[in-house]
Amino acid sequence: MKTDRFPPGMYILMTAALIAAMLLCVCVGSVSIPLSDTVSVIWRALRGLEAPAGMGRNIIFNVRLPRVLNVALMGAALSLCGAAMQGLLRNPLADGSTLGVSSGASLGAVLALAFGVQLPGTVYGGVMAMAMLFAFLSLLLILSLAYALDRSLSTNSIILIGVIFSMFASSLITLIISFAGDQVRSITFWTMGSLSGTGYAHARILALVLLVCGGVLLRCARELNAFAIGEDNARCIGVNVRRVKLVILVTVSVLIGVCVSVGGTIGFVGLVMPHMARMVAGPNHRKLLPASMFSGAAFLLLADLAARTLLRPIELPIGVVTSMVGAVAFVAVFYHARKVG
Amino acid sequence: MSRKILALLLAVLLALCLSGACAESTSVTVTDMYGREITLSQPAERIVALTPSDCEILCALGGESLLVGRGAYCDYPETIAAVPVVQSGAETNIEEILALEPQVVLMSDMSQTMEQVGMLEQNGVQVVISDANDIEGVYTAIRMIGALTGRDAQAETLVADMQATFDAIAAKSQASGRTVYFEVSPLQYGLWTAGSNTFMDELAALCGLTNAFADVDGWSAVSEEQVLARDPDYIVTIAMYFGEGPTPVEEIMGRTGWDGLKAVANGHILNADSNAISRPGPRLKDAAIELFDFISAAEAEQAE
Repeated sequence: MKTDRFPPGMYILMTAALIAAMLLCVCVGSVSIPLSDTVSVIWRALRGLEAPAGMGRNIIFNVRLPRVLNVALMGAALSLCGAAMQGLLRNPLADGSTLGVSSGASLGAVLALAFGVQLPGTVYGGVMAMAMLFAFLSLLLILSLAYALDRSLSTNSIILIGVIFSMFASSLITLIISFAGDQVRSITFWTMGSLSGTGYAHARILALVLLVCGGVLLRCARELNAFAIGEDNARCIGVNVRRVKLVILVTVSVLIGVCVSVGGTIGFVGLVMPHMARMVAGPNHRKLLPASMFSGAAFLLLADLAARTLLRPIELPIGVVTSMVGAVAFVAVFYHARKVG
Repeated sequence: MSRKILALLLAVLLALCLSGACAESTSVTVTDMYGREITLSQPAERIVALTPSDCEILCALGGESLLVGRGAYCDYPETIAAVPVVQSGAETNIEEILALEPQVVLMSDMSQTMEQVGMLEQNGVQVVISDANDIEGVYTAIRMIGALTGRDAQAETLVADMQATFDAIAAKSQASGRTVYFEVSPLQYGLWTAGSNTFMDELAALCGLTNAFADVDGWSAVSEEQVLARDPDYIVTIAMYFGEGPTPVEEIMGRTGWDGLKAVANGHILNADSNAISRPGPRLKDAAIELFDFISAAEAEQAE
């Protein structure tokens, strides 16, 4: 009997690939640091020795490493969200950006900034909480609108409503910006997506959220497999459809909300990477979800590397790279799927 | 005979009077910075300025009373607060401008479009375009607006005053080989700097400094590690402070990994007036003085 678990060999391979990508991104950057220096800095740090002080150490530990960690975690989180939503809605085009959840989260973050919403005792708490809340509310709104229109939640209607909601949220953001006056510049960031200046504190939050939410979603893998065949089928084999749906939607909203509040809207990762992962790991969510996380992390790392180094010393917005690569990959996937289907 | 002479005299007198009258109602011809010729029968009396720098120049020339409308971002001097505001840039609303019945609309090429110029001209409003990319260009803009409003003398005085200030600063400064990094957008939103061919770059050169990002053209996003690697002697941020949280200088001082930079270790960070240093107007003089005072204080401190 074929096991539906992720083979350990695959795990090792993917972990190795991810670590290789991370090392590459730490070693290569806008400033050229000799490889030997980088290796010695990392090696000494790993053995708990004091690394030689200097620019190289500073850049590696304070700029590249936190950024690489954030990028990898965010890529994994976004891709996981995409895979979970595509499974839940049985819709290959579902993703935070196509469903308008990311725009909703941005709207929440912008509102928090414009009206100074703050959670006592935290720096980013208010923005994060609002981003999560709005991610969930917009997901709820989009799905209920789509449901009212078409009870089968078909591909077309859900994407249409998602796109329309995205535009609506963007226009609200623009409206807020035109009333917000002086803080306009700080707000436009939320609509662009940038991971520069993210530190270890962000990485800790992302890692914690990904650990919890990732755990929840991976535990739902069986139910997602059942959904893949059909909601009725899932109900027949004893899945509590409403509860599982709600759990997945809340989890996805939390993940997207945190990602948006750390790095703004970064499109296409969640849309494209699960498809790539599906080609390698197959449709079983027990394999697909972890594979999506690994491939999402690796993809976003490489995209960020390109954004940092292509035009050095100039830095491109990461969203430009992911959207450019993602759009091409998306068309390829779509074409392929149509031909096969 | 005497009647003939009298008639001749009268004719001469009349001609003199006429020419005198003509000289009084001189028409004004201005060539704007796009090389377009604009002719007015008399100096402009009703002006809408869409771009902040043009508005500042007009007011510095004593033409504040001629201003019948100002673009959304024209906020200096504060005394123009009562002048009606019109949309500018991509949101420029032609109707709104026409309602103010201006003779001339002043705009810069940076945020406005030729379509807008065409529409205004179709409706009988003259458009004068400014396009200053360096300090020399600002002088041209000042002279142009001076000619437009019949304030040539004031324009020359203003230019001479600015020039004298810049010359004095250049004379007092010497090329120190020290570098300055201009921060246009803070780390949280992705670093942006002002490279070569910017007013900040020009002011840095006046003060004897080298722009750390001279290899970048214009305003551009740069990598954080590039700033760390270039280890500038001075940092000038134009971030605005909204009165909550750390000030822009404190924020830079507190960044992880930046404490090793010479500018941060020595506390040589200036939060410059963003509008003065980035608008191609008369306040570039103030920005230059602010920068020079900051640099010379820092140099004096280092010499001790």
